[in-house]
Amino acid sequence: MATRVQFENNNEVGVFTKLTNAYCIVAIGGSENYYSVFESELAETVPVIHASLAGCRIIGRMCVGNRHGLLVPSSTTDTELQHLRNSLPDSVCLQRVEERLSALGNVIVCNDYVALVHPDLDRETEEILADVLKVEVFRQTVASNGLVGSYAILSNQGGLVHPHTSTQDLDELSSLLQVPLVAGTVNRGSEVVGAGMVVNDWAAFCGMDTTSTEISVVESVFKLNDATPAAIATTMRASLIDSMA
Amino acid sequence: MVLYNFKKIAVVPTSKDFIDFTLSKTQRRTPCVVHKHYKISRIRGFYMRKIRFTQQNFHDRLSQIIQEFPKLDNVHPFYADLMNVLYDKDHYKIALGQLNHARHLIDNVGKDYLRLLKFGDSLYRCKQLKRAALGRMATIMKRQASNLEYLEQVRQHLARLPSIDPYTRTIIICGFPNVGKSSFINKITRAEVEVQPYAFTTKSLYVGHTDYKYLRWQVIDTPGILDHPLDERNVIEMQAVTALAHLRAIVLYFLDPSGQCGHSISEQMSLFNSIKPLFNNKPVLVVANKSDVVRIEDISEEDKELLKPLEENNIPLLSMSTLSEEGVSEVKLQACEALLAYRIENKAQTKKLDGILNRLHVAIPKPRDDKERLPFIPDSVWIKKLAKTKAAANQEVEMDEDEEEEEDEENAPKLGKKKKKKTERDIEMEMGDDYILDLKKNYDLPDEYKYDIIPEIWEGHNIADYIDPEIFKKLEELEKEENIRDEAGYYATPKIELDSTIEDIKKLAAQIRERKEIMKQESRIAATTKPKLPRTSTASARERSVSRLKSEMARIGVDIDEKAKDANYKRTRGRSRSLSKPGLKRMRLNSAGDSRSMSRAPRDKSGVKDPETRLKLKKIAHKAIAKKVGKMGLKGEADRFIGTKMPKHLFSGKRGIGKTQRR
Repeated sequence: MATRVQFENNNEVGVFTKLTNAYCIVAIGGSENYYSVFESELAETVPVIHASLAGCRIIGRMCVGNRHGLLVPSSTTDTELQHLRNSLPDSVCLQRVEERLSALGNVIVCNDYVALVHPDLDRETEEILADVLKVEVFRQTVASNGLVGSYAILSNQGGLVHPHTSTQDLDELSSLLQVPLVAGTVNRGSEVVGAGMVVNDWAAFCGMDTTSTEISVVESVFKLNDATPAAIATTMRASLIDSMA
Repeated sequence: MVLYNFKKIAVVPTSKDFIDFTLSKTQRRTPCVVHKHYKISRIRGFYMRKIRFTQQNFHDRLSQIIQEFPKLDNVHPFYADLMNVLYDKDHYKIALGQLNHARHLIDNVGKDYLRLLKFGDSLYRCKQLKRAALGRMATIMKRQASNLEYLEQVRQHLARLPSIDPYTRTIIICGFPNVGKSSFINKITRAEVEVQPYAFTTKSLYVGHTDYKYLRWQVIDTPGILDHPLDERNVIEMQAVTALAHLRAIVLYFLDPSGQCGHSISEQMSLFNSIKPLFNNKPVLVVANKSDVVRIEDISEEDKELLKPLEENNIPLLSMSTLSEEGVSEVKLQACEALLAYRIENKAQTKKLDGILNRLHVAIPKPRDDKERLPFIPDSVWIKKLAKTKAAANQEVEMDEDEEEEEDEENAPKLGKKKKKKTERDIEMEMGDDYILDLKKNYDLPDEYKYDIIPEIWEGHNIADYIDPEIFKKLEELEKEENIRDEAGYYATPKIELDSTIEDIKKLAAQIRERKEIMKQESRIAATTKPKLPRTSTASARERSVSRLKSEMARIGVDIDEKAKDANYKRTRGRSRSLSKPGLKRMRLNSAGDSRSMSRAPRDKSGVKDPETRLKLKKIAHKAIAKKVGKMGLKGEADRFIGTKMPKHLFSGKRGIGKTQRR
């Protein structure tokens, strides 16, 4: 199921949240409305954790993780690290990385098996990434943009990338990542799909502005309902053309 | 894409209001005091300003009206035609044209009178010219009364028009009056069009929106149309015709096979044929309504014969009943599908599609190794999903079983059974302002450890390790020790024993001090500036003298003669003029060989130590004077000329808020 949420009147859900198959980290906001949307949807299966990183709320852009681990930037304080360690299940490794490109969420996108990283990422970070998150790492761009974490979003079942990604790039990326990929938007035409939504293998959360066509694309490409990704090219094709062209 | 919103056009005032507004604005916003003794150029300026201001206001207001009303040539042909039907294109254009002309005339009046004012030679004449100018502008506006009234009516009607987007997915419903068009739109949208059992209930276009396939569909309900030639159609019917003619939409032609609407099938088919040209290049569906009365299969053979041409032209014929809701959703579905297919076909021919082709492509991965990458979905998710589908199925069954039961009663106990977990938000709402976010609550730790205080680490050292556990005890001991010392008088200052001589000295010193103080005060009284006693009284003796000091001190018992041989009062000169005593000061040297010894020294020499200093000072003075003279352009040292004693700009005119010397 894809759900529409808003963080304090902001549609960029992926900025304030990190969602994986083993945990969900939510920024500390003024009220609990946002947290409770995730809590009611996920709390029975995975821990939903309040956290900040380096005193910031933009945790979704600062850290990167999957069900095996979580990487946080070097600016994370000891207290925050301790809090995260206490909250995360023991099966999740927590690691702080010294990286010049400290917004790890913007430069890395991953699922439980593969990761795309910014071409300028440190070699050491790449190794840590492979060890802690247990993923194969590929240096790649999405729609000739290095910020792969902002412009792409992945789960183990599918992926959504920048709407200007060409068909060839899509095929190439899909073969690397081994998941079906679609170029699309969220939040009524926003290109920053990574920052505009969060997804894991059974749930997705988009901004409140997301149109029903966008939601339906998200649901089918991430296999959140009965539709398969192929539906985008077949049954949904007509309504997609009519709403976009 | 242009969006049509006619709700923001400003109110068009009546001609009387128009004039009143403008003239009162002139009155309020231009200066209003003028006197005949003013310079004529000032008087002219005063009235010119009034004329120009009024003319500009008329101009602006008229321009606003002319601009805000939609130009028939610029709007979508649908709206242009609709406005032609509703307000008569010629009338509308003439009204706006005449306003434009009035604006032009007012501009000319303003220009003419400004020119004339240049020759106004008195206040009275200038004023008359102004009056004439404003009067002529007002007359021009008065002649526009009917146009303004008409435009205001148009504005009000335009604002109430439904906001139809001519470019979006549109379904148009048309047919004879009373065939169930409005009932249908009420069924599939939330438009709430009035439905009545008489013809022409719907007198204008109505819009509703419905959702299908993630898209929003605009449904337009048109007034019923009768079968007669185009030029005989009335305004109500013409609105329907405009919508049919200009909107690229699917047309649902409603039939009433039962004839309850008062028209037979043959009449309805002939209308269909006569308005057929309007359906060119549009998908069309024929819908037979009121199937609860007569089903389309049950009509007579002759009528069936009439419907034959539909089949031949590949126009689908559907049957439904808005009363029993039978077939309503099928009609909607068919209509949407047909329109979508038609629109896609159109779009496929344009180049627009190329831009979004990549977004329609689903990249399916080619396997690059044998590794299996399975999704990781916990069992609890599956269980939850299964429970949800089961519950949904159960509910459906229950609904089938007892449909008559009140829905509220049915759901209430069910919700109670499924008690939801209390979320943070619920807790926050409950506690209100007292709520504090508890971060430690959900720690993945045994309960007894959750709230343990975490040791504070600094640069790898546990701060607790560096704290002496006995520090407080030690501090207490130290304090106790200090107390004992304090009590034992360790910090008390020792007293000094005094012997008799020192005691005497002290006493004497005190007496001396007291005596001195008295003498000081007496002398202060003597030095008063208050009027002295008259000469008749005896002259007071000189109070402060060496002898008195001696006697006073002697009275206390201090002999100062012996002790102070070199004291300063001994060094004073006696009153006698004898020079036998050597001078106390250094003798002045006779510097310039002046023979006159005691005469008063000239000003430049007095108080100067020696001739070198005098020359030096003279040079300095000369330089200073020369500098001042040179700087201020004076004739010499004595020149104290002040150019203008009372500069006019500082002493004339009204005083503003500033200071007297700064203007």
